[in-house]
Amino acid sequence: MNGIFLAIFLLCGGYFLIFNPASFLSVLLGGGQKAATLCLSLLAVYAVWSGFLNVLTKSGLGQKISKLLHPLLKKIFFIEDKEALECVCMNLSANLLGVSGAATPFGIKAAERLQGLPHARYNHTALFILNCAGVQFLPTTALALLAAHGAQNSAFIILPCFLATLVNATVGVILLKIFVKKDK
Amino acid sequence: MKFLALTVPLLFLLVFLYAAVKKVRVYDAFVEGVKGAIPLVVNIFPYIAAMFMLTELFERSGLSAHVCSFLAPFFEWCGIPKEIIKLALVKPFSGTGATALMSEVIEAYGADSYIARCATVCYGSSDTVFYVGAVYFSSVKNQKLGVGIAISLFCSFIALVMGCLLCRIM
Repeated sequence: MNGIFLAIFLLCGGYFLIFNPASFLSVLLGGGQKAATLCLSLLAVYAVWSGFLNVLTKSGLGQKISKLLHPLLKKIFFIEDKEALECVCMNLSANLLGVSGAATPFGIKAAERLQGLPHARYNHTALFILNCAGVQFLPTTALALLAAHGAQNSAFIILPCFLATLVNATVGVILLKIFVKKDK
Repeated sequence: MKFLALTVPLLFLLVFLYAAVKKVRVYDAFVEGVKGAIPLVVNIFPYIAAMFMLTELFERSGLSAHVCSFLAPFFEWCGIPKEIIKLALVKPFSGTGATALMSEVIEAYGADSYIARCATVCYGSSDTVFYVGAVYFSSVKNQKLGVGIAISLFCSFIALVMGCLLCRIM
C-alpha cells in the first residue's frame, strides 16, 4: 500500500508541477472534502446497520446464520476462533445480499479479530480477495441506474454480473491457494 | 424488483421480533450497536481521505486520460469496449466515481445498448479493491496485502473480460 500510494502520488504531483501547479492544493482539498462528506453519510449508514447487527448478534441468530456457511468457509479459510468465523460469515452474507453498508462493519471486525490468530496473513488475504470479488446475487446499484435511464430489459445484466463475480472469486481463491502459503 | 424492496424491511422486522422472543432488550442492544458506528467512522476517515485525495490527483492531473489511451489497444484486444476503459480504471479506486461514470456511459449510449451492459457488468463484477484494502484493514498493524491486491486486480480484469464476452453472446 505504501509503495503504491507514494508512486501514484509522486507521479501525479509531478504532472501538476509541470502543467498546473496552482490547482494542486485545491484538488487535494477537494478530495478531503469528498472524504468528509462520504464519512458523514457512512456514519448514518453504519449507525443503522451496526444497531441492527448488534440486535442480530445478541439474539443468537448471527451464530445460526454463520453455521450455514461453515462448510464452504472451512475450505477457504483456516479459522478456529468462533467469533472471527462468525464475523467473516456475516461479512460475506451481507455482501451476497448486496447490503455493503452492513458488510463493512463486520469486515473490519473480522480483520481485527483475525490479527492475533494463527495464519493471520493467509486469512486476511482470503478475506480481502473475497470482498474484492464482491459476489452478489443482485447488482442493485447497476439495476437501479439502468431502470432510471429507461432500460427495457434491465434484468438482462443480472446473470452476466453474477457469473463475472463468481469467476472473480473462483480465480481469486485458486490464486490464493497457489501464491499465499499458510504460516507455519 | 418488488420482491427486492421487501427484503430489507422484512429482515429488520423478523430479526427484531426474534430478538424480542429471545428476551433481548432490543432498544438497549440497538443503541449499543449504534455507539460502535462512531469509532468505526473515526478510524476509517484518515484512510478514506488519503484515498480520495489520491484519486482526485490522478483524475485531475490528466494522468488517467493518458493511462486510458495507453491501455486502450490492449483492452480492446481482450474484447472490452474502449468506451468503458476509464470506468474499468476508476473502479478499483473509487466506488462513487465509478457510479458517476457508469451513469454517464448509460446516458450516452442508451440503457439497452451493448456498451451500457458492459459498463454495468464492469461495475458489478468486482468491488473497489484499494478502498476495501484501506478500510477493512485500517485497524490491522503491519498489513501485508501486496499479493492480495495483485491477485484481486488480476481477477477483476478476468471477470471483466468474461462479463463483456457474456454480454456479447447472450
